[in-house]
Amino acid sequence: MTNTYIESFPAEAKVVRAAFYSSFLALAIGGLFGIIQTLHRTGYYRFMDSADYYTVLTAHGVLLAITFTIFFLVGVFTWATTTSLDRPVEDIRFTWAWYGLMVLGTVLTAIPIFAGFTDSEMSASVLFTFYAPLQGHPLFYFGLVLFVVGTWLAGVDWFRSWWAWKQEHPDERIPLPTFMVLTTTLMWYIATLGVAAAILLFLLPWSLGLVESVNPLLTRTLFWFFGHPVVYFWLMPAYMMWYVLLPKISGGKLFSDPLARVVFVLFLILSVPTGIHHQYLDPGIAEGFKFIAMTNTMFLLLPSLLTAFTVVASMEHGARQRGGTGYLGWLKALPWRDPVFAGMALAGLMFAAAGFSGMINAGMNINYLVHNTFWVVGHFHLTVGTAVALTFMAVTYWFLPQVTGKALWSRSVALGQVVLWFVGMTFMSNAMHRGGLLGIPRRTAEPQYEGFEFEAAVGSVGELDAQIALGGALLTLSLVLFFANVVGTALNSRSDDLPANEYADTLSGPSDAPLVLDNLKLWTAIAIVLVIFAYSFPLLSIIERGGLFGPELTELPVSIGLGLEYLWVTTVSTVTAAGETAITIIAGVSS
Amino acid sequence: MSQTAEHEASNETSEHVREIGHDEFDPIGTLTLIGIYFLILVFLWFFMYFVEFLGNDPTVVSGTLVFLATGERLA
Ligand code: HEM
Ligand SMILES: [Cu+2]
Repeated sequence: MTNTYIESFPAEAKVVRAAFYSSFLALAIGGLFGIIQTLHRTGYYRFMDSADYYTVLTAHGVLLAITFTIFFLVGVFTWATTTSLDRPVEDIRFTWAWYGLMVLGTVLTAIPIFAGFTDSEMSASVLFTFYAPLQGHPLFYFGLVLFVVGTWLAGVDWFRSWWAWKQEHPDERIPLPTFMVLTTTLMWYIATLGVAAAILLFLLPWSLGLVESVNPLLTRTLFWFFGHPVVYFWLMPAYMMWYVLLPKISGGKLFSDPLARVVFVLFLILSVPTGIHHQYLDPGIAEGFKFIAMTNTMFLLLPSLLTAFTVVASMEHGARQRGGTGYLGWLKALPWRDPVFAGMALAGLMFAAAGFSGMINAGMNINYLVHNTFWVVGHFHLTVGTAVALTFMAVTYWFLPQVTGKALWSRSVALGQVVLWFVGMTFMSNAMHRGGLLGIPRRTAEPQYEGFEFEAAVGSVGELDAQIALGGALLTLSLVLFFANVVGTALNSRSDDLPANEYADTLSGPSDAPLVLDNLKLWTAIAIVLVIFAYSFPLLSIIERGGLFGPELTELPVSIGLGLEYLWVTTVSTVTAAGETAITIIAGVSS
Repeated sequence: MSQTAEHEASNETSEHVREIGHDEFDPIGTLTLIGIYFLILVFLWFFMYFVEFLGNDPTVVSGTLVFLATGERLA
């Protein structure tokens, strides 16, 4: 008897495993495209037409930033609710249904992306931001919608578990992992309204030919309404792992349960009203609105700093219990040979570096220096590409035995894998940052120009390219080792000598946390109000200047040929108005 | 409540040499590390702002600064 997850929750373990495997498949394909575009851009090996570069880049962005991350985190969240509430999901068929919907959505989105490599009419080489006027095949948008609806239903599943649990435990605090899942899900519901509106009201009808044009600034703004908080949808599960798993693996306890709750509440209320910080250089949005977004962004530093403190203090607690001493000497007492620990710790270290480049991105003036350069690509390979991806890979080494009941194939290969990722990313990302400072643009198949040279004060473009290619190669090798371990473990036979399914205990427990922290309705209402403050005026002014469907369509009345469009425009304005009223009412009621 | 507490004792390895409770734990190492990180951040920010940002003309800001200092506009 070992008490693994699969023993306590055999049916759930299957879904979690399926979600993990789906995520790894996306990681494999996305990673392959990563090295292809690295070699292409740097000029080391170009086997495809440069026009196809953007199809590769779209697949890389969508498969890694959306598919890999989200499939993994729905698995983690299902594990977290079932484990911490100590109850199976309410209806396993419903769980399989949302998983199936996410798979269907992914396949439908992938078809037009991959069709971009063929001679067919179909394509969706619109990059993962799908800015108009780039237009993809309707299937691309439709698939995305199904995928997001799948995640919404997953959220319903977790909420259902919590509601059912609450009936039986009316006076208990929400267990921390479940608390984290619920706050993250609420944040996700608010955030995805933006992308749902962008797709359903504008981009999908436009790509179907129902409307002739869209207002690109409007759809961009709606995209970033979602595009910033999606970052927290990736990060919050990684944080959860740092809060509930890492302290245990370090041999200690979570420093503070109340602080962890505060952090997740802050993310819920502050993640969404910041998206405009991705649009500092967009003409058509007034400086004042950008300034508000910048201010909110700076507030968002707070939960990240709290996380740094709590997580490091929990590791220190572990190290001291293991005999560590001194101001910094305790670091040596940490279990660096354990791949789960080493991977998460290195991911956290990279995230600290990302904090620096993020700080530069966030400043309205200094952002001009790096906007749309390779710097930005360097930055998010540290955040989503390492803090999140490396944490996910590291905890995979803990989760695989839990959801398969089989021992990990090789711990030393796993340790080599996480270290290799760290080293590879150090080369690649550092050189990308430096390249950006020279003005080298991102999203460019051939960043070299006739009669112009990027000038470097230190080193040269050739040296940067070499580091990027080397880093990319090491990362690819790291991925190969990762998949070897996943496959090797799957082929192992069942073992009954596995660690039990447990998460970290706390030094300061939930009884020290003010009750109001668990008032999810209150935080949701505040979050909605902040979003209304931050977004209603910018959106209204964008619509006023450019029209709902772009400048050409503001001139009404319309001719008979435009009748269908007219109908559509009226419907949309009515729906938008109704939506706004509804939000006001909800905000009023729940506060 | 976390159901993990009971398993704690059985699960800890021999590497676990002492038990430190909430009140004895003083996270001085954490403060040291975060302090070092903060200094690095401040240094890098100054470097980025004054060398990379202002040093890379033409920018709106450097133009203004030069204008304020010398009364002369950059070409
Ligand atoms: C083998 C590892 C990887 C390599 C070699 C790699 C390489 C690259 C390169 C060179 C670019 C920039 C292309 C350009 O702007 O022209 C890029 C973009 C990107 N990468 Fe990666 N990457 C890797 C892993 C990851 C991971 C793990 C993630 C996320 C989980 C990720 C997410 C992204 C995203 C979102 C973009 C931006 C796409 C866009 O601009 O539309 N990458 N990658
Ligand atoms: Cu952002």
